[in-house]
Amino acid sequence: MRKSYILLFLVFITSSPLFPQLGRNTPPPPGPAPEIKLSDYESFELQNGLKVFVVENHKLPVVSFSLVIDRDPIFEGDSAGYVAMAGELLKTGTKSRTKDQIDEEIDFIGASLSTSSTGVSASALTSHTDKLLEIMSDVVINPAFRQEELDKIKKQTLSELASAKDEPETIAERLVQKLYYGQGHPYSEFETEETVGNIKLDMCRNYYDSFFKPNIAYLAVVGDITKKDIEPLINKYFGSWQKGEVKHFKYTPPQTPSANTVAISDRPNAVQSTIRIGYPVELKIGSPDAIKAGLTNTILGGGEFRLFKNLREKHAYTYGAYSRISPDKLIGNFTAFTEVKSAVTDSAVFEILNEMKKMRTEAPADKELQQAKNYTSGNFAIALEKPSTIANFAINIAKYNLPRDYYKNYLKNLQAVSASDVLEMAKKYIEPEKAYIIVVGNARDIAPKLKRFSPSGQVTSYDIYAQKLDTSAKKLPEGTSARKVLDNYISAIGGRENLLKIKDRTSEMTGNVQGVEVNITIYQKQPNKLLQEIKAGNMRQSIVFNGTNAYSLTPAGRKEITGTSLNDLKLESTLNLLLEPEKFGITSQLSGIEKVEGKDAYRIELQAGTDKKWTEYYDVDSGLKLRQIKSVAAPMGTATQTVDFSDYRNVEGIKYPFRLRQTLGSQQMDMQVTSIKVNNNLKDSIFEVQK
Amino acid sequence: MAKRLLITAVLFISCSFFLYAQEVKINFTEYDLDNGLHVILYPDNTTPIVAVTVTYHVGSKNEKPDRTGFAHFFEHLMFEGSDNIKRGEYFQYVQNAGGELNAYTSFDETVYHEVLPSNQTELGLWLESERMFHLKIDSVGVETQRGVVKEERKERLDNRPYGSLMEQTFAHAYKLHPYKWTPIGSVQYIDRASLSEFMDFYKTFYVPNNAVLSIAGDFEAGKMKDLVSKYFAGIPRGSKSIYRPGIVEPEQQKEVADTVYDNIQLPAVVKAFHIPAQGTDDYYAIDMLTTLLSSGESSRFYKELVDKEQKALYTGSFPFSLEDPGLFLVYCIANMNVNARDLDSSIDREILRVQNELISEHEFTKLRNQVEDDFVKSKNTNLGIATSLANYYLFYKGNTNLINTELERYMKVTREDIKRVADKYLRKSNETLLYYLPKPLGQKGEGK
Repeated sequence: MRKSYILLFLVFITSSPLFPQLGRNTPPPPGPAPEIKLSDYESFELQNGLKVFVVENHKLPVVSFSLVIDRDPIFEGDSAGYVAMAGELLKTGTKSRTKDQIDEEIDFIGASLSTSSTGVSASALTSHTDKLLEIMSDVVINPAFRQEELDKIKKQTLSELASAKDEPETIAERLVQKLYYGQGHPYSEFETEETVGNIKLDMCRNYYDSFFKPNIAYLAVVGDITKKDIEPLINKYFGSWQKGEVKHFKYTPPQTPSANTVAISDRPNAVQSTIRIGYPVELKIGSPDAIKAGLTNTILGGGEFRLFKNLREKHAYTYGAYSRISPDKLIGNFTAFTEVKSAVTDSAVFEILNEMKKMRTEAPADKELQQAKNYTSGNFAIALEKPSTIANFAINIAKYNLPRDYYKNYLKNLQAVSASDVLEMAKKYIEPEKAYIIVVGNARDIAPKLKRFSPSGQVTSYDIYAQKLDTSAKKLPEGTSARKVLDNYISAIGGRENLLKIKDRTSEMTGNVQGVEVNITIYQKQPNKLLQEIKAGNMRQSIVFNGTNAYSLTPAGRKEITGTSLNDLKLESTLNLLLEPEKFGITSQLSGIEKVEGKDAYRIELQAGTDKKWTEYYDVDSGLKLRQIKSVAAPMGTATQTVDFSDYRNVEGIKYPFRLRQTLGSQQMDMQVTSIKVNNNLKDSIFEVQK
Repeated sequence: MAKRLLITAVLFISCSFFLYAQEVKINFTEYDLDNGLHVILYPDNTTPIVAVTVTYHVGSKNEKPDRTGFAHFFEHLMFEGSDNIKRGEYFQYVQNAGGELNAYTSFDETVYHEVLPSNQTELGLWLESERMFHLKIDSVGVETQRGVVKEERKERLDNRPYGSLMEQTFAHAYKLHPYKWTPIGSVQYIDRASLSEFMDFYKTFYVPNNAVLSIAGDFEAGKMKDLVSKYFAGIPRGSKSIYRPGIVEPEQQKEVADTVYDNIQLPAVVKAFHIPAQGTDDYYAIDMLTTLLSSGESSRFYKELVDKEQKALYTGSFPFSLEDPGLFLVYCIANMNVNARDLDSSIDREILRVQNELISEHEFTKLRNQVEDDFVKSKNTNLGIATSLANYYLFYKGNTNLINTELERYMKVTREDIKRVADKYLRKSNETLLYYLPKPLGQKGEGK
């Protein structure tokens, strides 16, 4: 017999819902509020201290087990990531099973098994319960920690980090962590190539030995089983797990900012800005404020409430805008978040702050308050469809020392929240003047406009791993200008006269991309004819441009290049483009001095037409071009491409860079120029498409 | 331990799925209204919520070649309001009732759903019947949604690594059949469509005789029938003829290969093979072949390519089960410093292995266990059950009860069948091969 507690709550006070006339012009009134039944759970404890919760649910012949380790957060330092890897390693081998055997046995019974640093989950059809518990307990109690498995995980992690380099949301989340929690706090840590490199097998094993103890663990059992049947099995498989002393850690709570602080991470040429506005908050799960503060946040940034209505419905800045307030045992946080069109970045920040301010100045109308309550209680009911929800409740009650009836009273307590409670919560937890304003986007366009949100007038720049960039850029010397920097460059490579002597040029370069040798030959002829041939392994691709029409030729056939791509090509294949930039509608602006590979370099912003923008860096000492950053178009969107130039050598009076390094996201390609020949009398016909 | 396992396996092979089928039978009822609307009801009072779904038998394959993306765009218009629902109110009604809603468009169908607390069921019926009865489309709504759909395309395809994969694969694999374009379609066609075309599309496809109303959750079947007839019986049957493309894709004669340069960090290899429509005997064998290749960490692709050789970061294979003959897709992302060709050769080796060697009894039992587990767990939410019921009715010749019995079809598949379909369909001449590569240095333009 399953015990169930019945809980009544009224969503609306309804009049007679029976047989109303069919008036299509108004929505039907709701029926009497349903009873939300929270099925109860049973529990028992093993001698070694493992606490077990059993939630019976016989709808499907399925059982799932979820083991949770309840330990203090751990500061990992320069080996960040080893704790997570220890968790991953659990299922890669035990003292008596190899990874192959575990994989095979789990799949053989059609089950699933996953492990992390704070727990292990497994699920299968009820008929396989015994086998599943045998494997799961082996993974929990006898993991082997083999070096070759750690090496695999490290390799995969590095691939994933590489993949994530161009993801603005990942970059924004790192900034959130770093700024909210500060150096030395466990919540501020994330993996980088460097920390992954420092991870050793011993660290992982030590982590396991110190923290995987039954006396700090909870095991939730959910599904088509009874306590009577499962208790002996749990005893059989987890009874031998040895308990032990576990260390505790204390951390200094992070400081909240005393005034709005603007932080930016540059994604040159990004079309969207990723915005996060927030700060850490002292809010514990199950505290008296938790339900009220949660409802307050719903009105501001839940579902389709204020932020969504304002930023999407009213202003069409974005596809969605939301906020969250997350209570936590150690330290919680509030964050408003959205992705908006670059051009409206500052307006979007303004509107978000404004909505936050409004929360603090006026209590919500009763109707809006009731809508937020309905929304929250509806979500609560929908979540109950999953039997694991009850198991999570059970674990939370134990983990956070909540009253046993906390979740049974949840809806009642939710309904009791008043408009003045919401105002009080907003004054306590919503801080539109003491927040971190974090933006990942095109710094050149948005940084100046974001200054107004910072009382100090400072906008601090960070790299993709949330490291502060040294932008205490040197003052520009008096009288320098973009024009002068470009003229200086032309003199440095050999002068206008020598450049004008070039009628045609043939450059060959070679490099290695993804393990494949790549050879590129570029033929150029005045004024802007181009033939570019790329050979990569067996693949061949060329682009041919006669000054008017352009085609790309691949084994799949010939495609004409048109539109923006054609315009770009026209510009980029022009020999000596910078001799007469005005002729091509190119404007340039000097925007500062920055370090490029350790050298001071002038940063020049260039623009052609209204859309095409790119950035170039010129060595202050030698005058040579060191770097170029631009966005490149692909069939699906744009990405930032950086090319570094070095090893300048003289060919017939002109200096050319012989080494080029292209970085596209994480992808780095080094190309070495093998020869440059000029004035070879290239025939016009080679720039025509061969019919 | 070993003994117990053996008994389970033996039982399983003989008749355990019939036993099982009795255990969790989905007891639904179904009937037609006079206007042709097919209604499926599955009462289940475990949780006080109800899932209301409406499936329209129209997808991107019903579009004209110069109006691709039309069905998906129309899905957006369906939230714009009706004679009795103002613009923007659709979402608000559901949110204020504590529910959630969404919709999606595929090659073959367009599906709308609301999940609501059970005392708000009638609201769901009113909302769905309103837009089936008298949707309101005006130029303001069309313009707004044009913008929204463009942003959606950016988010889902353009700014996502490998986001164009489906679009590129289907475009390369099909020559004639409308599966050669995907539901998101091309933006410019929507810009060209006129208001009258939208109305015409609505009156052709969004009619009760082209739809299935499937409801699962906390209600009584008798009362629900009354409510359904109250809201839906008055909607007139459609009078226009419904366009169903009878286009047969000619058999592929030789391998199609191409390279896509994208803003990605790691190369990917995609292979697609033409396969028969869903519900055919071979389709079930192909589905089990997918399980063999890529389901779980002992699956052949994962074990060999990810775990052993470490050539791949990710491996997957999916049969696109479609109303007309679809595609079997293999999709792998390379690990750092592994090139596409190298990864490709390992995939080919594994395919060759299935074609040359009969799988062992042990591995075969594993597949059957995995398939059974999936089949059971697929029934864990009311929303999932409601959409599955509608899907079985629409695409399996009215055989709605497959929700209870489809496992039998899987269990008829033999080891020899799996080898046979690997041979028959995963052959080179039936393959479309795409390499996704990071854009090379110096590439100046795009051919497209």
